[in-house]
Amino acid sequence: MNEQFRDLLLTTLLAVLFGLIFSGLMLLFLDKNPIEAFGILFSSLFRDKYTFGDIFVKATPLIFTGLSFAFTYKANLFNIGAQGQFYIGSVISAAVSLSLQDEMPGALALIIVFILTVIGGGIWGGFVGYVKARFKTNEFLVSMMSTYVALNIMDYLLRTVLKETKGEYPQTDSLSKAVWLPKLVQGTRLHWGFVIAVAAAIGIWILLYKTSLGFRIRAVGFNPEAARMSGINAKKLYIITFFISGALAAVAGFTEVNGMQHMLVQGFNPNVGSEGLGIAILANANPIGIIFAAILFGILRTGGLIMSQMANVPSSIIELMQGFVMIFVILSYFVRSKLEIKREKSKLQKVAGI
Amino acid sequence: MNKDWRRHDYGAASLIKNGRMMNTPFFELRNITKYFSQVIANKDVSFPIFRGEVLALLGENGAGKSTAMKILYGLYKADSGDILMNGEKKRIHSPKDAMALGISMIQQHFSLVPAHTVTENIILGNVHGRIDWKAHEQEILELAHQHGFNIMPDKLVRDLAVGMQQKVEILKALYQNTHLLIMDEPTAVLTPQEAEVLMQFVRGFTANGNSVIFITHKLKEVMDVADRIIVMRNGIVSGDLKRAETNERELSRLMIGREIIANDEGNRRQPSKDSDVRLVLDGVSIEEHGQVPKLKGISFSIHRGEIFGVAGVSGNGQQELCEVICGAIKPTSGRIYVDEKDITEKEIRDRIEIGIGYVPSDRHKDGMVMDMTLAENMMLKTSSDKKWQRNGFLDKRELDAYTEAAIKSYDIKAPGPNAVVKGLSGGNQQKVIVAREVNTGTSIIVFDQPTRGLDLGAIDYVHKTILAEREKGKSILLISTELSEIFALADRYTVLYKGETQGIYNRSELTTEEIGLLMAGYGLERSSGNE
Repeated sequence: MNEQFRDLLLTTLLAVLFGLIFSGLMLLFLDKNPIEAFGILFSSLFRDKYTFGDIFVKATPLIFTGLSFAFTYKANLFNIGAQGQFYIGSVISAAVSLSLQDEMPGALALIIVFILTVIGGGIWGGFVGYVKARFKTNEFLVSMMSTYVALNIMDYLLRTVLKETKGEYPQTDSLSKAVWLPKLVQGTRLHWGFVIAVAAAIGIWILLYKTSLGFRIRAVGFNPEAARMSGINAKKLYIITFFISGALAAVAGFTEVNGMQHMLVQGFNPNVGSEGLGIAILANANPIGIIFAAILFGILRTGGLIMSQMANVPSSIIELMQGFVMIFVILSYFVRSKLEIKREKSKLQKVAGI
Repeated sequence: MNKDWRRHDYGAASLIKNGRMMNTPFFELRNITKYFSQVIANKDVSFPIFRGEVLALLGENGAGKSTAMKILYGLYKADSGDILMNGEKKRIHSPKDAMALGISMIQQHFSLVPAHTVTENIILGNVHGRIDWKAHEQEILELAHQHGFNIMPDKLVRDLAVGMQQKVEILKALYQNTHLLIMDEPTAVLTPQEAEVLMQFVRGFTANGNSVIFITHKLKEVMDVADRIIVMRNGIVSGDLKRAETNERELSRLMIGREIIANDEGNRRQPSKDSDVRLVLDGVSIEEHGQVPKLKGISFSIHRGEIFGVAGVSGNGQQELCEVICGAIKPTSGRIYVDEKDITEKEIRDRIEIGIGYVPSDRHKDGMVMDMTLAENMMLKTSSDKKWQRNGFLDKRELDAYTEAAIKSYDIKAPGPNAVVKGLSGGNQQKVIVAREVNTGTSIIVFDQPTRGLDLGAIDYVHKTILAEREKGKSILLISTELSEIFALADRYTVLYKGETQGIYNRSELTTEEIGLLMAGYGLERSSGNE
């Protein structure tokens, strides 16, 4: 067990390092000094607490969308619609916040907003599971297409009932301060959304590994035929799993709207779904791993942005870094399993006395 | 152990067959060693293969027979050791290399394309550019004729019987000019009659100076057809003997390291026929429109404390029969009763609650979740049961204790309840399923080929468990392709052929030959009428 943990730390660190080295090579092509650039990247993170806090601000929605993909993945289902579920969650959060903010105390409003977002996003996601259970549709396609539907619903609402009172842009009015998620650390943008995200990750881990529902979800994911033969109703699980998955992605909308933007802007955070998918893969769909993977992405995003401004390199280098790091982290899984096999083998050879 | 089994010295005593001198072996494995992540599959395996001989590779499942042959065929790479052909070292890195040297291997699961014709399958991978179908069909017909096979080259493989498909596999090998044919458990899917045809081919093929390697664990088959026998146990060669100089007793001793105790259960209780009927199938059929019926008018009943056997070649409706009883598929007509209650429309979950246990034949696919732990597999069927829950969470301690008890009482060789079942041997995996189903099946247990692929120790254990459960008054449906198993355990039995039962017989009412005929679809009346 100890050896495995050592491998995990070592290979992951090496993978991140390799990812940076390769993206550094790309900087060389641009005649920039990569060491200097990366120096800025990392030193800037600790420059002030505002920047440092931003790492976790960036990580927050990614934890949710990462969990959203990972959770269905455990049941061997693919939820490609986290982006749409995120938008549905954003729309519900913004609309409910706007209508409740003057009616009741902020804390109570926030709780209602949160609950309605969970239910709304859950139903939106659960629909994908329902049509799969009922009509055997392909959840991959339905969830992917549902994103476009969600996007258009948001556009429609932002041009009609939710449109700002000024009537200039397709965006809502600002939420009143009462329904903002409180700050976690003063002087930063870091809000309680991050705590909710970490709690959600731990909660999902408990659900998967410590409850019988999670057990059945994993059983269906590993071997649907054996699960069926054991009297497990996979159809019911499709709906439940997609409900939870949709709710997770929708809560990302809640934390972004009530914690960060404090309004709803058309088509904001357009990559939160696909990056979440990448994070889930990066973490091998482990809920706890997702927290760290999202923070890693937060570091690259926050530091990368400052680096691109200060070292005068194009900001697309951030995506390049994310891409390289992801490739090497995924490769590290194979390296680890090789190491594991080699260890087993040498153990056997020792026993056999060869 | 000492090397007293090496009775002949290949260097000095030359083997003479068909008038040829054979000093140098055709092929030779020398000190082959192969590790898998968890086990040593082959350790220092060495043996020669001579021209013109039928070599049987005998051993229990997991003894390393298939691994050694897959190394020879280039599917696996040995960690150390050499392969020699005519005394020269050869490198075999892929089946393509092996085929170039004239080696072919027929896997247990055929590698044919069902949607293609016989001809297409045979020439696959050996043709380029425009294909002259007529010429190829002619060529294949001639090849088939030469070896006494009666085959139609333009038929689709999916329409052929299993025995016929095997012939296509053999022809595919012959078409590639094979001189060494490796067959992995070739008779497992055949009726006794079909097996005899295969044996005739093998004799003819080797008479021309070719060699055949049979991978098998059936002693009888070995004594029938082999010239020489290599016995493997736990990854090492434990015996290398000429057929003429050995006997089944010695072989079994080499194979399992002890002699098989004759499996004769003395105290058999004859169940009462008129009372205590538990499971009744009444005219159960599965007939989808426009398809060959999978089950046709199956009717039988099983009493309390009775083992009802179903013999037959696999693929004749056994799986459907099991699934119809455990609820995975619904019959298109007919009813099923348990204790006089109609359960025909009940779902799997309800039937588990009634107390129907099911040990499926394909445990990897239907019986367990290989990536989960032993404990998790033990609760697979009862995951929503209150007894595993505490405050809404899984009660791990309770489950571990339960699993620990099963490990102990079934003698499952595993590091503990939290070991992943993938890492267990086949026999121990099967014990996990049996342990679970014996607990689930409080009134009826369906065993579908419960000992397939198990070593003799595990087989013995499963048999003892089945008999013990019968003693407790459970009703047991035992489906097996091994006649000896049916004979040893079943109180009454039937034979399944193409989804139909061929009469119900008491134990020892029929001879092996008679059952063989029933299994092949010859009714008894017809055969006795011919006499």
